[in-house]
Amino acid sequence: MRIRTLPALAVAVALTAVVSGCASSSSSASGSKTINWWTWDDKQAAAYQTCATAFEKANPGVTVKISQYDVADYFTKLTAGFVAGNAPDAFQNSVQFFQAYASQHQLLALDSDIAASKFDMSKFSVGVDAWKFTDGKQYALPLDWAATGMYYNATKLAQAGYTKQQVDSMTWNPTDGGTFGKMVAHLTVDDKGVRGDQPGFDKAHVKTYGFGAIAAKDFIGESTWSSFVATTGWTLGDKATWPTVFNYDDPRFVQTMDWVRSLTDKGYAPKIGTFTTSDVDQLSSGKVAMETGGSWEASTFAKIPGVKVGIAPTVLGPDGKRAVMSNSNGNNIWAGTKNPDLAWKWVSYMGSEECQSAASTTGTFFPSIPAAMNSSAKAMAAQGVDLSVFTGMMTNKVLFAATVYGNGAAMQDAMEPQFEAYFAGQKNDDVFATMQSKSKSILAGNN
Amino acid sequence: MAQVIEQGRGRARGSTSGRASAAHRHDGRLALILITPAVVGFLVFFAYPTVRGIYLSFTDFHVLTPPKWVGLANFRELVGDDVFWHSLRVTLYFVLLSVVVGVLVSLVTAVVLHRLTRSTVIRALILLPFLISGVVAALVWSWMLDPQLGIVNVVLNKLTGHTVMFFGTSAWAIPSLALISVWKSMGYNAVLIFAGLQTIPATVYEAGRIDGASEFQMFRRLTVPLLRPILVMVVILSVISSFQVFDIVQVTTKGGPADASNVLQMYIYDKAFSQFDFGYAATMSLALFVMLIAITFTQMRLARANESDLN
Repeated sequence: MRIRTLPALAVAVALTAVVSGCASSSSSASGSKTINWWTWDDKQAAAYQTCATAFEKANPGVTVKISQYDVADYFTKLTAGFVAGNAPDAFQNSVQFFQAYASQHQLLALDSDIAASKFDMSKFSVGVDAWKFTDGKQYALPLDWAATGMYYNATKLAQAGYTKQQVDSMTWNPTDGGTFGKMVAHLTVDDKGVRGDQPGFDKAHVKTYGFGAIAAKDFIGESTWSSFVATTGWTLGDKATWPTVFNYDDPRFVQTMDWVRSLTDKGYAPKIGTFTTSDVDQLSSGKVAMETGGSWEASTFAKIPGVKVGIAPTVLGPDGKRAVMSNSNGNNIWAGTKNPDLAWKWVSYMGSEECQSAASTTGTFFPSIPAAMNSSAKAMAAQGVDLSVFTGMMTNKVLFAATVYGNGAAMQDAMEPQFEAYFAGQKNDDVFATMQSKSKSILAGNN
Repeated sequence: MAQVIEQGRGRARGSTSGRASAAHRHDGRLALILITPAVVGFLVFFAYPTVRGIYLSFTDFHVLTPPKWVGLANFRELVGDDVFWHSLRVTLYFVLLSVVVGVLVSLVTAVVLHRLTRSTVIRALILLPFLISGVVAALVWSWMLDPQLGIVNVVLNKLTGHTVMFFGTSAWAIPSLALISVWKSMGYNAVLIFAGLQTIPATVYEAGRIDGASEFQMFRRLTVPLLRPILVMVVILSVISSFQVFDIVQVTTKGGPADASNVLQMYIYDKAFSQFDFGYAATMSLALFVMLIAITFTQMRLARANESDLN
């Protein structure tokens, strides 16, 4: 008897442990009034904590828990949360995954909440349309907006004989590169001190590249080639939202890519894989004299110790105009949240001028509300960070909204290797026709 | 010996037959209870996922919505999927490099160890890379092979005036990954072969020496044939683990550049966890599973692994 009961007891204990172990992780969430909010940006997680504290004060008994996961794992973890039923109540989302989540009914449409609480959507100057799905419903409040600018090592440019005015008015065209092309060649210096536009320049031993990573695998070229090709009138999709094809085979695009590749072939810009360090490190270490970068990096660049970094607007295109892509992340509510009303209360508070102004004083993101943007720019100016290049883009209307498209992950996986192969010289211009037809198939949902 | 045991059992049965049968009446039930945890583990963690994986390979499954039966559509897609066939070629190239180089290096290391030293400290040192996690090994190697900052490239630049983008160029990506894989598994394989070497009687070598065989001749004519069962096992284990390479690729190249190191596991992972196309990813996993079974059986048949020349 004793012999038989012992193992049975052991099994029972083991099974109980397994079952209770599984249960304990989910039971803690129920009952308590906790709002979970996720972001992939560590700086924004810290910035929004100010709002969370204020929200908790205004709503006694409510706790806001902000969690941050690295962008490389963020969307996998989010999807796992949807499946397991423990996704956050609300979360930061990128348009790249909007369609995948909305079409699988994981996002809560906000229209009824917006109407019921008389939330004023017109206060957002950018990003509202990016979060309207094909069913016409609004699924997110825009969290921020981002653009790109030119960051340069002010000392290196002065040594090369360039003034701020010259950098601020660089011209570009895909045939000879304009004044920008000449400047990049001159800024490039090899190990022996010979400049890129001087005889005897050794492209195999470059000490400082005139321009940073422009030949990149990023298939929308957000902070690389986009601000160049867009000045030719080229657009990524056949429509601004939910396009059916990406215009990779357009002659203007192909010509621009040829020019981009010529920069790396001449040794004026690094090839893919040359650097494994961040663009901030490349500029601060003197390996790169100038590069395009995101507006979200402005304060990081400005605060590099011992290096004076200037910010210039992007190039003036063939018709003398600039064109800069503006991308807006969104604040979504998960369809499976147990506290939809509270989640909306938090999300709408995050979308208020009060919260946006408070959180954006850190300069780590640009709020979509103009009034909040102004106070953010003022706060940053006080810290010695001049954002006028970016605020100027907003007032001068050089911004255009990033294309909203479906099947982003499949598009990324299909296009990035093609760009890598093209820029490595393994494929030629005919790859763009293949890419265009592949984009058509992916956007139609056949991946 | 067996006879003695048999006799002993007979005596025990003869003397206490009645009581013994009563005491063992419930042995079957006890046995069932004792194997329950293992069976439950097998069913939950092996049988069910396998069956479900096979089922999912016939469905269109995007995790967030229930799977939809699509019959053989995924298999048709597989046949026409250029990336899959490219990944298979990349994987085969990686397997070939890492197994051939890996087994050769391990064999030489084991023989050198066997002939020159009895030191357990050296044996333990050889085993060290195997004990390091794949992610850590890949991370350390990616720093050492970094085009700008890595020590390997600093030395190369001093010697030749040029650097090599080990993970950044298509030609170098797979050889670099194979190198990491060989470095990591070499110690384990060497210890296995070393154990095999110790089973070869010293008299065989004595006879060889009397016949005037050189050290190399003894290695070729005596050591290698007598080691066959162990070598077969090492080759099969290496082939299987090389086919399943993932961690070092994920940490270093992520399948790039331009899909040059997009091994099958990487492609499957990407389809499942980045594109959420779990149905198609299950189809590819099933294809890999079938391929591995076929390869293993073929290898075992060809190498007569269960026979030894020692008897």
